[in-house]
Amino acid sequence: MSGQASLRSRRSIPGNVLRTGTALTLAFAVLALGAGYWQVVEAQRLSTSPDNPQVIALARRALRGPIVDRTGRWLARSSRDANGEAVRQYRDDALSPVIGYASRQFGTVGLERTYNAELIGLTGADPFGGLLSKFDTTPNEPLGLRTSLDLRLQHAAVDGLGQDRGAVVMLDPTTGEILALASTPTYDANAIADPDTAAAAFEALRQDDADPLLPRATLGRYVPGSVFKIVTAVAGLDSGRISAGTTFPEQPGAEAKGLLVDGFRIRDGHHPATGETALDLGGATEVSCNIWYALAGLETGGARLVDSAAEMGFGAPIPFDLPTAISRVTGGAGGGAGGFKDDVELASASFGQAETFVTPLQMALVASTVANDGVLMKPHLVTEITGSGSGARTMDPEVWRRVLAGVDAQSIQAAMRSAVEGDLGQQFTAGAKVDGIPTAGKSGTAELGGKGEPHSWFIGFAPVENPRIVIAVLVERGGRGGERAAPLAGDLMTRYFELYGRP
Amino acid sequence: MDGFVLTLWLVRIMFLLALYAFLLFVVRVLLRDLRSASRGPTELGRLVVLASPHAEPPAGTTFPLDALTTLGRDVNNAIVVDDQFASAEHAVLTFRGRAWYVEDLESTNGTYVNGVPVERVAPLGFGDELQVGEVRFRLDRGRE
Amino acid sequence: MSAAAQARPRMRSRWRIRPRTRPTELSLLALVAVALVIGGASLGATQRYREAVSAGEVLKTLDWGPPDPRGLFAYLVALLVVHVLFVLAGRRTDQVLFPAVAMLGGIGLLLMQRLPQTLVTQSFSGTQLLLGQLQLSWLLLALGVMTVLALAVRSDAWLRTYKYTWAAVGIALLALTFVFGSDVNGARLTLSIGPLSGQPSELLKVILVVFLAGYLSENRSLLADESTRIGPLSLPPIPYLAPMVAMVAIALSIVVVQRDLGAALLFFAVFLALLYVATGRLSYVLGGTALFILGSVALYNLFGHVQQRVDNWLDPFADPLGSGYQTVQALYALARGGLLGVGLGAGLPTIGGRLPIPAVHTDYPLAALGEELGLIGLLAILGLYLVVVQRGLRIASAAHDDFRALLAAGLALVVGVQAFIIAAGNLKLIPLTGITLPFISYGGSSLLANAVVVGLLLALSDRGPEPPAAPHDGRRRFARLRRGGA
Repeated sequence: MSGQASLRSRRSIPGNVLRTGTALTLAFAVLALGAGYWQVVEAQRLSTSPDNPQVIALARRALRGPIVDRTGRWLARSSRDANGEAVRQYRDDALSPVIGYASRQFGTVGLERTYNAELIGLTGADPFGGLLSKFDTTPNEPLGLRTSLDLRLQHAAVDGLGQDRGAVVMLDPTTGEILALASTPTYDANAIADPDTAAAAFEALRQDDADPLLPRATLGRYVPGSVFKIVTAVAGLDSGRISAGTTFPEQPGAEAKGLLVDGFRIRDGHHPATGETALDLGGATEVSCNIWYALAGLETGGARLVDSAAEMGFGAPIPFDLPTAISRVTGGAGGGAGGFKDDVELASASFGQAETFVTPLQMALVASTVANDGVLMKPHLVTEITGSGSGARTMDPEVWRRVLAGVDAQSIQAAMRSAVEGDLGQQFTAGAKVDGIPTAGKSGTAELGGKGEPHSWFIGFAPVENPRIVIAVLVERGGRGGERAAPLAGDLMTRYFELYGRP
Repeated sequence: MDGFVLTLWLVRIMFLLALYAFLLFVVRVLLRDLRSASRGPTELGRLVVLASPHAEPPAGTTFPLDALTTLGRDVNNAIVVDDQFASAEHAVLTFRGRAWYVEDLESTNGTYVNGVPVERVAPLGFGDELQVGEVRFRLDRGRE
Repeated sequence: MSAAAQARPRMRSRWRIRPRTRPTELSLLALVAVALVIGGASLGATQRYREAVSAGEVLKTLDWGPPDPRGLFAYLVALLVVHVLFVLAGRRTDQVLFPAVAMLGGIGLLLMQRLPQTLVTQSFSGTQLLLGQLQLSWLLLALGVMTVLALAVRSDAWLRTYKYTWAAVGIALLALTFVFGSDVNGARLTLSIGPLSGQPSELLKVILVVFLAGYLSENRSLLADESTRIGPLSLPPIPYLAPMVAMVAIALSIVVVQRDLGAALLFFAVFLALLYVATGRLSYVLGGTALFILGSVALYNLFGHVQQRVDNWLDPFADPLGSGYQTVQALYALARGGLLGVGLGAGLPTIGGRLPIPAVHTDYPLAALGEELGLIGLLAILGLYLVVVQRGLRIASAAHDDFRALLAAGLALVVGVQAFIIAAGNLKLIPLTGITLPFISYGGSSLLANAVVVGLLLALSDRGPEPPAAPHDGRRRFARLRRGGA
């Protein structure tokens, strides 16, 4: 009897129908939200996506806007051929890894892709504006790009890399403007933009073992070697556990036989020069002391090291005008603080070996942080979107992150200066010095194991007081940092001061 | 912007408006249905007991009425009037079209509307007094 | 009770069929006509304007004729005829359901007239019918089926009594398709008889609901009881569960073997929902959902095409020109539509001679409508489906007995859940499955099956004859009434 009663009260069909109907109504509300997401929230992004057929159709007809460098020299421009078809023309192979190409067959890459919508005049297509102009027959005025690149520096960088594979990043630490973003080998973007030669050219480039289509400055990831010591220095000083005067009593003694960390021996190459002296930050940086930096890294701790690195852009794509690979301090598979497997990995990472991989752009940002007294400016390539359309605007310099106190940054500046200009430093980092201008830097020699030359690294800036130019140089298999990357960096910085005047 | 584009734009907005006009109308119908559903079946009228000497039915009781309601002493009636002056099958109330009628089922003591005896069938208005035996009722409007 | 039961048969003979006006339905149909005429005019004018602009001509005047004026007119006339038949029949059936469905069908017709007409063609005795004309033919046929069912079905005995026969027919249909059917896109869904071909799974959904309603209404109290316990789970007596589970399992397995995942999902969801409606036990739904998830994982691991669908769904942009093409293009179309849409006829027509969204007329009608009518229009269409569901569920709540209640609820849920599954697929909320959008998608099977659903719902909504009107002589009648009751 009671079962009957409960059946009637709890399980009346109209009540169940009502609940089912409510559930279905809620499900439809989710549909409405889904539609709103695609049609309003994501509409702008999807509508201007370079893969959108409407965008591609428009791009076929549109005369893409021009791209110029900071001095107004054209880098890419469009004209119409005899048939009225738009033809894209690129000035210099040295720019291809940055500007990219716009091809009918192979889509777009580089700045041509990032700013595709602006370059073909497809801006202002937001869901609320442009309600009346929904016919695709009347696109807006194509806009142009003014970049912060300097064609002369870009060219010099590519020439300097020569036959080697490598990358150069030069930027202004006070604004984040990129002056050169070189990657070698380069390729001829005109051949891909020309519909007649595109297929053959593209296939040849894809088959090329040197991988010219890889923009190494932003998407290449390399073992950093000793240039990473600057990241350790930033993390150590920022954590307060390390100061400019910190010395480790066990360091001089360990130089001869190596430092034993959990059974693993960390070795150095400079012990004949420093003898029994306990090194501080300056000394350790000048002679690139692995043991001092390993001890400093252990003292700082894995968590702080990874955190400080993340402040400078590690661990996530860098917000930039081009796609960037993620630089990382560690593989993150371990259970220790910051994701390190153990102290051995942390100690090795502290001087840039272990599981550490970085992009040249990332290392330029590290140098930029130190040079700009601990303030990291947002890196950018495009300073202005030019033209008369509604999307035209200028991009002002922006502070990205305040990483480090000014006084700590200055300690590292001094240490990096001694690495270039100190008596012992000169032996490791020959040729980076800009004549007559105080120069700071750090070389790196990334051992890859096995046979073959190491990667040659250098990061630096000049002048030490109020730096104006930051540089990061990577030469794949270029040998010791001091031998290949450092002299190239010195030449390029010298070229910069020739072009823009000495301080 | 030429005028055609503007006109086309206006017409396509009109189409959307027409869709919503339809939905709006439907929602009005749904709400109307919902209101009537929450009321339950509409009451056609109700009978309130004004005076009952033997308290069966007790005074003050309200009977919702079906379209056909019988009154009498017999227990099979919809409203049982346990009164010595009421017949077993005394009277029947019917709702026809939009009005109430009372029919005297040849009862011994008759049925009265506002004190007037009913000859076979008589119309019964809201507020009228109905007497069966010694029990007096009033016909009220049902809940809308 | 006895008075009414005995009185009714005699009375029915006295009450001849009397026409009853249906003012709500008429007003709503008028609105449907207004909307469709405006839509047709907008579509025709926009298409002509576009052609002129792309050809570089300058138009002097706009021609507001719909692309197929006679087709649209025929549809509107058919709606009116159905309405008049309903009025003449005088049944007290729902007045909102038919206009709501008519609006959806009309939108579908406009969409099919708007898409490239050669998308689907069929020849009947020498006459070539194009997409729009085919859809119109199916719509008219569907209206006929709906009207016949709505007017003729008075007793539900033929559905209720023969539920196992129906189940057998349904399964036989599926088995036939499996053996003799033809493959389309790797799924064996279509059964061809002569020049006609159809998808039996559409009809099967109706049969499934009829069977479940019959079965559940008989065994409702048993299923709601908790008598068998397996660990913490309490189950109803297993023997009573078996026929139903078997039926559903057979239907599902055949559907899965045929790779019609959308239909499988639909069957399962409707099955669980009806089980809940009948028993009010949420544990069935939860258990069923758990089973469903397990099954999905198994399917994912067993079948390559399922894996591919799911991977496409998770990241269609991984291969935007290959396997993710359809999904990505649909999202682009939705994004182009934005809030107010680009307008009927102004969407992206073709790229290099082919449709931007393959199979848009069957699989992605909502994306196409989202592009041309915008979010606002899409919400209106979703609203129309909710109206259909609401009416159906209302009919269920008001039904006199369990079978009618469950049947009405099941039919309404079939429409609602099917619309949800395909809409969610179009909006990338779930992986796309190849089922149709009821009343809108192109396809005869789909339109006819849904016409059966609406026809049955209308028949079920009949509130029965009115109370008698005032007779001229009340005495005789009441005397007879009383005699009958005594």
